[in-house]
Amino acid sequence: MITKEKIDNYIEKIPPSPKALKETLTLLNNGELVKAAKVAQTDLALSAYLKSIVNRPIYGFKNSVSDISQIFGILGVTGSQQAVYNYMMSLLSPNQWKLFGLNKSSFHTLQDALVIKWQMILNHLKIESKDLQNAITLLPASIIVSEALFCEHIKDVNLLRSAKALDYNTILMRLCKVDLFDICEQISLKWEMPNEVAKVVQAASGVKPSEDAQMNTLGKWMHLLLFYELSQPMFIEAGLNDFIDFQIDYIEDIYEEFSTLMEVA
Amino acid sequence: MRAVVHNGIGVFAPQGFLDGNAANACLTLDDIHATINLKADMILVSLKKVVFFNRNGLDAFVKMLNKVRAKNHITVGFCDYDNKKYDAIMNFYKGEMSFSLFKTQNIAALFSASFKNQSKTLLVYCDDKSQRASIAIELHDNGHNPVIAQSLEEFKEKSSNPGSYDSIIDNTYLGQMGQNIASRVTGNAIIYTVSSFLDTEISDTFNIAYHNNSLNVGFKLFIFDAYKVISMNIHALNFFSKLASTAAEYNATICFAGLSFEKTPEAFKETMEDAGIMFFEQMDDILQDKELLKELGGSSSVGSKNKRVINKTLVTELPRFIDATISTIEMMTNSKAVKETAQINEIIIPQIEGKIASSVGFYGAIDGMVILVFPVEIAKKACELLIGEKTEDMELILDSLSELVNIVGGKIKMLLADENISVNITLPRTYSDLNDLLDMTDGRKGAQINLAFDNDHFSFFLTR
Repeated sequence: MITKEKIDNYIEKIPPSPKALKETLTLLNNGELVKAAKVAQTDLALSAYLKSIVNRPIYGFKNSVSDISQIFGILGVTGSQQAVYNYMMSLLSPNQWKLFGLNKSSFHTLQDALVIKWQMILNHLKIESKDLQNAITLLPASIIVSEALFCEHIKDVNLLRSAKALDYNTILMRLCKVDLFDICEQISLKWEMPNEVAKVVQAASGVKPSEDAQMNTLGKWMHLLLFYELSQPMFIEAGLNDFIDFQIDYIEDIYEEFSTLMEVA
Repeated sequence: MRAVVHNGIGVFAPQGFLDGNAANACLTLDDIHATINLKADMILVSLKKVVFFNRNGLDAFVKMLNKVRAKNHITVGFCDYDNKKYDAIMNFYKGEMSFSLFKTQNIAALFSASFKNQSKTLLVYCDDKSQRASIAIELHDNGHNPVIAQSLEEFKEKSSNPGSYDSIIDNTYLGQMGQNIASRVTGNAIIYTVSSFLDTEISDTFNIAYHNNSLNVGFKLFIFDAYKVISMNIHALNFFSKLASTAAEYNATICFAGLSFEKTPEAFKETMEDAGIMFFEQMDDILQDKELLKELGGSSSVGSKNKRVINKTLVTELPRFIDATISTIEMMTNSKAVKETAQINEIIIPQIEGKIASSVGFYGAIDGMVILVFPVEIAKKACELLIGEKTEDMELILDSLSELVNIVGGKIKMLLADENISVNITLPRTYSDLNDLLDMTDGRKGAQINLAFDNDHFSFFLTR
């Protein structure tokens, strides 16, 4: 069904981050918002993406914002970096989703919700690292990779899952000894994302706790946040609720704190 | 979201946060319809991976469970919860619970009508006296040995020595239980437990699909454990007479053990005997008498006298059957299959040692049976995806093999549906001893295709 060769081919085909994006990220990393905006403007697709996201209701701006330097100013350094990473991720996502009932808009909704709530979590944990703030942008790659690898085998996978409750991550691991989060790590390396990003996302798989205590704690919060979002009706209907296994024991010690922060009734 | 059925128990496994909106999104009308049509003895919702739920979240599932129960008369409920979740559910539904609660799926299986393992010694405790008694009675009826702790102190004391019990049953609640007739397999005999008054309801509560499947796959002896039957009426008499006629077509025997005719007309006994049903005072009169058991067909799954030949329709569809099998095994083993030889004959297995087999029947627009014969090593490899690790546990391998054959059956059903041929598949049967398979297929001609998966040889046999 899915072989290691197919996975290697998939990773091979992931394009490196375009030059303009790389430069934008470097400038943002140095805090040079104006210069970064100028470079970002040269990539028309990125400009259009940035304009579209900042005017979404979730950001709550009254007036339409269309100037890139203004957008970067509003989002701040980290927010701008996250927006650029989210844009890179959207380049990876398919035009038409087959395995999951998603589309461009619902995928962006998921990205936005994760970014905003991750920021709440990091504020709550008093963590200010830019790299850790950006880590959340890699998490949806696990969904994109599942879609890419399994979309040609939907009937087979459904038959398999009708006989045994197996999530996509487990199926991939058992077939190829590589899981979705390993592939996410490969993507992060290809896009030259900071090492911490992949470390947190690997821990957020829920099945590979990190030896680094802080990374592990963040992995727990990210794992729980993912399932908090995937429990929204829109994503349950899209078939995302069980795309990976929810490791309830892993997040047990942070659940109360999480539910207070997210005001779970 | 769909339930995954294993050993007759269908389980929904929602994850994360289960409020009213989430639960309603989990269950579409199609999902509810599909659940009603499932051939399961029990439908459960596992709360193992639910970190938060509220009353509205459970209500959506309860509504679905009630519909399933009303339609199919089976046990429904929730399982896989900790003490906190159990207390929450009890609080939500105080005094209005029609569904059951089982601490784990394994505990639920002990109450299932088609349980596999009987005679378990079980410690039972519930602070509600009537629940305690109901649990014990239900377990006893299903062939177990419940030990009841009458007080919390007694329970704590007894449960401190867990080695004495196969399972400890607490925080379990029995709502309206399924009325399906419990069935269990002893050797090659199937025992059904019936009780109380047998009337027209027996045709609803008896799992006729399971029974017919058992006949199809070669079971010859069916015993009704009727010690607790008080009486039966003419509708039940007609039902058993019909059952006996069907059994006769397969050269199978139906027996009753322990049935008293104090409140049932003696004439009924004569009618049933005329239909071929045999009566014994004690179950052991049959099970302990090896000669009798052999004569009645309960010592081996001997071949059916109703041997039918493979027909043109089946041969026409043969490529689809083979495609379904190959693609499934390729998917499970991640290896390529090579067809070696094909023949129409009785099944030929050159060397039966080190091989296991599984069969699945199909019926509807066309009918027949697919038999897959695996060297143990391929079976292990094919089941690795389902089990998750290499194992030498033959029971686990056979169990996974039946799941695998179920997947093959599902794929066959799907491919035939593409050709507008509608079939249903039976429950799979596995054979650890190929002599049993050879007995069952004795005299049946079919199409045998020998295949190689990475140089391991494997046989596919399609017959009727």
